[in-house]
Amino acid sequence: MSVHSGRDPQNDSATALEIDDLTVAYNSKPAIWDIDLRVPEGVLMAVIGPNGAGKSTLIKAALKLIPRAAGTVQFYGQPYEHVRGLVGYVPQRGSVDWDFPTTVLDVVSMGLYGRLGWIRRPGQSERESAMHALEQVGMQDFADRQISQLSGGQQQRTFLARALVQDARFYLMDEPFAAVDAVTERAIITILRQLRARGKTVVVVHHDLQTAPEYFDWVTLLNVEIVATGPIATTFTPENLRRTYGGRVAYLHEGQRIAGLEEE
Amino acid sequence: MFQLEELIINLLLNFIAREDLNAFLRNPQHTATIVGSLIAVSGALLGTFLLLRGMSLTSDAISHTVLLGIVVAFILMGSVFGQHPDLSSVWLIVGAAVAGVATVLLTELIYRSGLVKQDAALGLAFPLLFAIAVILVSRVVSDVHLDEDAVMVGEIGVAWANTNSHCLSGCESVTITPEDPRAETTRQCTNCRALGISPRDDKAEFTQICTNCGHYSPAQAWQAGFTEQEPVLVFWPKSITVMAVLTLLTLLAILLFYKELKLSTFDPTLAAALGFRPTLLHYGLMVLVSLVAVGAFDAVGSILVVAFFIIPPAAAYLLTDRLPRMLLYSSLIGAAGAYTGYDLARGNLLGIADLSDILAALNNLFGLGLSERWDSSISASMVLMTFLFFLIAWTFSPKYGLVSTMLRRRNQRRSFDHQVVLGHIHHHQDSPAAGEELAVSTLYRHFRWTPAKMQRTLRQLRARNLVQIEAGLVSLTGQGETHAHQFRQTQLTNESVGE
Repeated sequence: MSVHSGRDPQNDSATALEIDDLTVAYNSKPAIWDIDLRVPEGVLMAVIGPNGAGKSTLIKAALKLIPRAAGTVQFYGQPYEHVRGLVGYVPQRGSVDWDFPTTVLDVVSMGLYGRLGWIRRPGQSERESAMHALEQVGMQDFADRQISQLSGGQQQRTFLARALVQDARFYLMDEPFAAVDAVTERAIITILRQLRARGKTVVVVHHDLQTAPEYFDWVTLLNVEIVATGPIATTFTPENLRRTYGGRVAYLHEGQRIAGLEEE
Repeated sequence: MFQLEELIINLLLNFIAREDLNAFLRNPQHTATIVGSLIAVSGALLGTFLLLRGMSLTSDAISHTVLLGIVVAFILMGSVFGQHPDLSSVWLIVGAAVAGVATVLLTELIYRSGLVKQDAALGLAFPLLFAIAVILVSRVVSDVHLDEDAVMVGEIGVAWANTNSHCLSGCESVTITPEDPRAETTRQCTNCRALGISPRDDKAEFTQICTNCGHYSPAQAWQAGFTEQEPVLVFWPKSITVMAVLTLLTLLAILLFYKELKLSTFDPTLAAALGFRPTLLHYGLMVLVSLVAVGAFDAVGSILVVAFFIIPPAAAYLLTDRLPRMLLYSSLIGAAGAYTGYDLARGNLLGIADLSDILAALNNLFGLGLSERWDSSISASMVLMTFLFFLIAWTFSPKYGLVSTMLRRRNQRRSFDHQVVLGHIHHHQDSPAAGEELAVSTLYRHFRWTPAKMQRTLRQLRARNLVQIEAGLVSLTGQGETHAHQFRQTQLTNESVGE
């Protein structure tokens, strides 16, 4: 059950991501249930919901990184395998071993491996693209650093640069704002807005209810099922939040400002 | 395999005389060192990726279970094809690769049940397969190459003796048939045993049989005196060829798929999202580990193979933080361990000490009856030497070693103490209580330090020209002011973009 309010994305603009009847289960326990979702092209969308709501699962299932129990996912009308080059993915920072013996520049170049395909090695032009992406996130001075020397925020910006270098049309980011300092958070949101300005579609798993209305123009509220999806102005309402968080959210409604309390 | 050996031999004979080549290969040390180094290099290359994937012990499991593959292939070859292969046979290697992959599959099957943890799943799967293999070895297979001793520590010391002979000239092989004039024949009673009679009995029937018929290789023909000219031969140890091929294969796979292996090791999720097949790469790696393990099994047994996979990369990990260098360093450390390990087995520690002399000295000093000839397991000595190199890296690595870590911690502590004192002076020197807070004689109380530590710290700060002492009061110099100010700026504020 999806609540469309405001403009209807299907009439307004092209659909970038379309998910139909998607269900994913871990050991027969549904992590996400019967998801129907349309993400119009060019939006900066937050996926918001409590812990265990299936936010990361939704992204991973869309990329076929975990098996789907049912349902279809299409990017620009095609299955993911056909359009890998159009989709950039930023996994959670904690999903890799930051003691791995490599440099920041090398990690960023990994974003280009998909374009290179099997066996071909990155060369000078790949290094230049990676360097350019590092400049965009303000990390050019760290190119030759061993990655274990980075702070959390710098790790996140490295991951972001790795996605930027893919030059995708659609970005999926899993909690890029998790445990980063205020400076990095501002740097990231600036980059996200630049991406939107260039017509890219960006979907971000987000945890902070307070900043959501300021950062994003589109939102999907998720708690195993979709609670609501649409423009943030009309969808991010106290009523919908209460339905998403089951009354655990304390809100105060003054104009568009909503302060959220979240478990953890 | 045989043709490949011929190719190598012909290449080598451009540089070295045949007699010298034979003499070189007949020296047990040379063959053992070459085979040991090849095992160490291929093990180190693969081990680097295993270590980074957090699956070091998988190589231990596989090096045990390849035995099952070998034994099953051995039995199948014997009963189905009626031949007894030796350990360099291609089919045994294929069997071992299958067993290696089966180990990983079985482990994952047990783990996926969700009832046991990953390490326990490995601990369940491989002893099962190894136990079956050990029972099969002792019950079914009776062969010099597959006894329990070989399974334990291998036979790298005698690898030189198991050779293919390659003939260069005078290569006349001879086949003796019963019609041949050189054939030696004798009469044999055909019904004596059946009737229980003696050959002298009247009823005995006889047939002519040939005692020396059959095919003679050039070497055998010369020895039996059938040929005029002595054949010119090169005796090439089989295990050198096997390990050289496996090492080349490993090197080639890592060179070709370096990018894919690196990505799927560092971030398997992204590897999958980009369309590389992390699972496929995972099993490819496991096949390579199994192949090297079976090659190494022949030489060093199953127990010690894991050391060749893990110790060199663990040492290299402490010496560099670039993957290509880690691969290079671990290969070098592995090869050096194999080279010096042979000497150790013969009682020579890095050319520094002769262990026989030490034993003799012990006997002289304490009147012990120790054997003064030091002659120990080659494979175990190679492992010991490799571990010695690890210890050196562990202690003295410039970046991560024990010594440098200790020095760095001490410096950090000292520099922190300096900052604390500078901060205190900075805070109080213009305050009304300065006379009480900054008196040199009582300063230590404000930090709850010992007077000795306070004195030492002040001495160091004065040596750096950061503080001065006038009339029993300590104050910051101009340089000290700058220093204290900078510290507040950089350390007491949050990180910023680009720092």
